[in-house]
Amino acid sequence: MSKIKQFVQQSWLLIVASFFFGLLIAVTDAGLSPRIEQNKVNKRNRLVGALLPEARNFVALDTEIQIESAGGKTEKVEVFKAQSESGQCVGWSFNASGSGFADKIELVVAVDAKFEKIAGFAVLSSNETPGFGDQIKGDYYRSQYKGAPAGELKLVSIGDPKQIDSKIVAITGATVSSEAVVEIVSYFVTQIKEQMQKKGIIGNVQQQAS
Amino acid sequence: MSNSRQAKPALYSQTLLAGLWRENPTLRLLLGMCPTLAVTAAVKPALTMGCCVIFVLLCSNIIVSLMRDLLKPHVRILMFTLTIATFVTIADLILKAFQPEMSETLGPYVPLIIVNCIIICRAEACASKNGLVISIIDAVGMGVGFTLTLCVLASIRELLATGAVFEIQVLPLARDGGWFVQWAAMGMPVGAFITLGLMLGLVNIVTGKKT
Repeated sequence: MSKIKQFVQQSWLLIVASFFFGLLIAVTDAGLSPRIEQNKVNKRNRLVGALLPEARNFVALDTEIQIESAGGKTEKVEVFKAQSESGQCVGWSFNASGSGFADKIELVVAVDAKFEKIAGFAVLSSNETPGFGDQIKGDYYRSQYKGAPAGELKLVSIGDPKQIDSKIVAITGATVSSEAVVEIVSYFVTQIKEQMQKKGIIGNVQQQAS
Repeated sequence: MSNSRQAKPALYSQTLLAGLWRENPTLRLLLGMCPTLAVTAAVKPALTMGCCVIFVLLCSNIIVSLMRDLLKPHVRILMFTLTIATFVTIADLILKAFQPEMSETLGPYVPLIIVNCIIICRAEACASKNGLVISIIDAVGMGVGFTLTLCVLASIRELLATGAVFEIQVLPLARDGGWFVQWAAMGMPVGAFITLGLMLGLVNIVTGKKT
């Protein structure tokens, strides 16, 4: 009993302060999180707008798209339909994330209306090594995705970065970051494409071809 | 009575000026070196970092000063860290909400204010031993001293790296027909080390410090 009393005497201030500070953070977070979320949406729209220049409006899909994550769990992905001024579908965009070299890499990926070609990607957040891994944000690397087939991509160490195909030339000194982006884009694009084809949102390209 | 009335304003101004020059956290105490070197490539992020540090320093000094009589010696560092971490989290959220681009530019350096030695040093050396008014003045003096140093360092680096200060072009660039060739190294970590070293050397010359 005396031990409990001593514990309370020594630590009551810490316990009270923890509750008080926790409450303070919770209130601030509750007050600011809508604005922070809106900032993220604005940023995504701006980035996707640059990838799909004809897009004027982004509408979230009503149909739920779920993909299997690396750990075997299912993950809900919000897919946005990019519409032109006349309301015509000009592409699709979605967020994709995965492990990078230093931390989680969060991307926004855009594909064309038929889900046949990648329109490009932009980095929403990453913590890759400055001067090396952070070159995934640069034009040299990103331009290789613009027009690449919306399917499995492959990272190669030597090649022509100007040739647009499923081969992505790695950034010198940042192979892990380059590979991480290739894997994230490939995985999300193929999984979402399959799901959308199954649900009839986009046409089955293989069937159409045959 | 009249002596004590005169002593208080003198003490307040002495405390305020200590942070600006005599005990300037960056140039004299060499504290908070991580943000000093990391966010001074341009004036805007340096000023934002300085404002965040002033906010956290002010809030933590107020809280620590108010609860100084309740602090137990062995939990005091834990209490300081808890207080500082709370206000750093709030500063980070405010920055994300109102200055999202600057928040991204500063990246992990805002959460890293938690381990900034200036704040815990002032909580231990001043706020835990003094009243509210002195603690507030100390926080303002130290915070402004830190911010001014960061801004001076950032101005030199931004000017030499880009020819601009506060994103306003000051020197005519050679690529646009002027004479100034951008010194890219000043925008990189090496530029931070060289500029800070020169500034510290200058302070030592001014103050007559020999070793």
